[in-house]
Amino acid sequence: MRTIPQQREGRLLLVPLVTFLLVFLSFPALVDIVYALSDVTFQTMRAPELVGLRNFGTVLADPEFWSACWFSLRFGGLTAFIECALGLALAIFLSPIVCRYGWTIAILMLPMMVAPSMVGLMYRLVLHEFAGPLPYYLTLWSGTSPAFLDAGHAFWTLVVVEVLQWTPFAFLLFHVAYISISSEIREAAAMDKAGAWRILWRIELPMMKATIAIALGIRFIDGFRVFDNVFTLTGAGAGGSTTSLSIYIYQSFFKGGQIGQAVAASALLFFTSLIVLYAGGMLKSYRERRRVAA
Amino acid sequence: MAQIKLDGTSKVFGDITVIPPLDLEIGKGEFVVFVGPSGSGKSTLLRLIAGLEQVSGGRIYIEGRDITTTPCGDRGLAMVFQSYALYPHMTVRQNMAFPLEMAGEAKASINRSIEETAHVLDITRFLDRRPAQLSGGQRQRVAIGRAIVRNPTAFLFDEPLSNLDAALRSSTRLEIMKLHQQLGATMIYVTHDQVEAMTMADRIVVLNHGKIEQVGTPQELYERPANLFVAEFIGAPRMNRIEGEAAAALGAGTIGVRPEHIRIVQESGLWQATVEVIENLGAESHVHTRSDVAGPLVVRMSGSPGVKIGDRIGLSPADGFVHRFDRHGMALR
Ligand SMILES: Nc1ncnc2c1ncn2[C@@H]1O[C@H](COP(=O)(O)OP(=O)(O)O)[C@@H](O)[C@H]1O
Ligand SMILES: [Mg+2]
Repeated sequence: MRTIPQQREGRLLLVPLVTFLLVFLSFPALVDIVYALSDVTFQTMRAPELVGLRNFGTVLADPEFWSACWFSLRFGGLTAFIECALGLALAIFLSPIVCRYGWTIAILMLPMMVAPSMVGLMYRLVLHEFAGPLPYYLTLWSGTSPAFLDAGHAFWTLVVVEVLQWTPFAFLLFHVAYISISSEIREAAAMDKAGAWRILWRIELPMMKATIAIALGIRFIDGFRVFDNVFTLTGAGAGGSTTSLSIYIYQSFFKGGQIGQAVAASALLFFTSLIVLYAGGMLKSYRERRRVAA
Repeated sequence: MAQIKLDGTSKVFGDITVIPPLDLEIGKGEFVVFVGPSGSGKSTLLRLIAGLEQVSGGRIYIEGRDITTTPCGDRGLAMVFQSYALYPHMTVRQNMAFPLEMAGEAKASINRSIEETAHVLDITRFLDRRPAQLSGGQRQRVAIGRAIVRNPTAFLFDEPLSNLDAALRSSTRLEIMKLHQQLGATMIYVTHDQVEAMTMADRIVVLNHGKIEQVGTPQELYERPANLFVAEFIGAPRMNRIEGEAAAALGAGTIGVRPEHIRIVQESGLWQATVEVIENLGAESHVHTRSDVAGPLVVRMSGSPGVKIGDRIGLSPADGFVHRFDRHGMALR
């Protein structure tokens, strides 16, 4: 039998993956790159006119782009942090109950089962200034009710809505990580005279570190690119107060018809996340090398 | 004076009594082995002493102090777990430092203790590795090291060798015995392996369904088993158990003869038998026979057997080595 040299064999094995990437990613990516560099509207989609980096300049000079970035960053960071903190607390404090009665997990999972756009719609009803039951009862009992959806409060309303829906996700990840710590490790720590707090801080949390990082990452990405529940609940919000980056891109694309700018904004987003991921990877390998050297 | 004393200690899980009330005294510096089949309550008994389980009744004393309700960390005991239970995110050094930090020791004295212990156990090379970077035997040493640094009143081991391969198991066994002599500390060791129990113990506690069947030195258990359970559990190959006529002839419900106490005699002999299987181990052989009146009998002899499969032979128990038991399995003396 003829043998294939190892290097060629390796390349051969990569063929399916590369084909997949080419087929599924190359066409949209190419179109994106062309549009980002062109002056293009719905009328000229099939005949884009190349204008170089002008779209990027326009986007970077647009204060709305920056405020959308800031919104997404703040929203993603804050919700990721709160969701993970709550999820962790629930996973740890509820673990005796959840381990004993497995069905409680199903109840805790419930909010995740609802489509985010539906959640947005639901809260739009519940919080509606005139029709909503929550403002009604608040006014009934305390005399006043905050306008949940106005420019001043919309951000926090959205944060609460997002946190209520996605804390279960963080909880689930942490629950699995928490119960997978063997009971002998906890017992060993208890024999070593460590109390419950010290076991938590010195043993359990460090052992869950990777899960915590992953949950924070996933929830941040999900919060950063938030679209559907914000779109159905407040849209761009009063005075653009709840324009997330996704909503900004959507608006310039479909409402403004400025396809080139919208695509340029998404390309910027793409490159930024690429840089962040790359930097994260570098940091990790640097720390590992330092640990091995030590 | 007894260092560890169980007084009517019992444990109930739900409505299952795992340990009926039992009394036991363990002397200072003793190496005591709890042995018994799987599920006999050895771990539960050890965990009661450790404080990882609460007793359902009775009391436990350590050096005269009633510690029945004392939390496990304050009993001054160290435990080596079956899975080693090393902290995976810490280096070996940090693992060993942990109990000392929890006890509030100063940094300098912690470092000194770790260096000393690492030297004794020959693990200095691994001090800055994580548990995942160690082999099973090395992890085992680290787990023992983490127990030793604390300088505990007594060491508790729960089947510490069961995750090691056969060769490593016997060498680690020797090391634990050496360590016991070196430290002179009290050790309680749980195993289901009677060979480990016989070779390591000063005193063996044989457990069956949570009940103590017999307590004694390995020699006592081997020579004068209190009942059939102990007789059959201790010694390999198992003691031959003979019932019916052959037993009644000696005025017992059951008699037991260890394989090494039966001799092959041509033709004559107490029992006539046919050779069925021969296991030749080199230094010794086990001859499995079927006797007409006494049923299956195993004979253990040194060197190679002078018989072939299918041979008709006579078997004779050695004088004074026949154990007699009554109908309830209790030894007749
Ligand atoms: N936490 C528990 N809950 C209920 N039953 C238990 C528990 N721990 C042990 N047991 C029961 O107690 C008996 C003795 O267990 P164990 O002490 O682990 O035996 P061994 O260590 O001798 O194999 C077993 O029948 C086991 O099922
Ligand atoms: Mg056990």
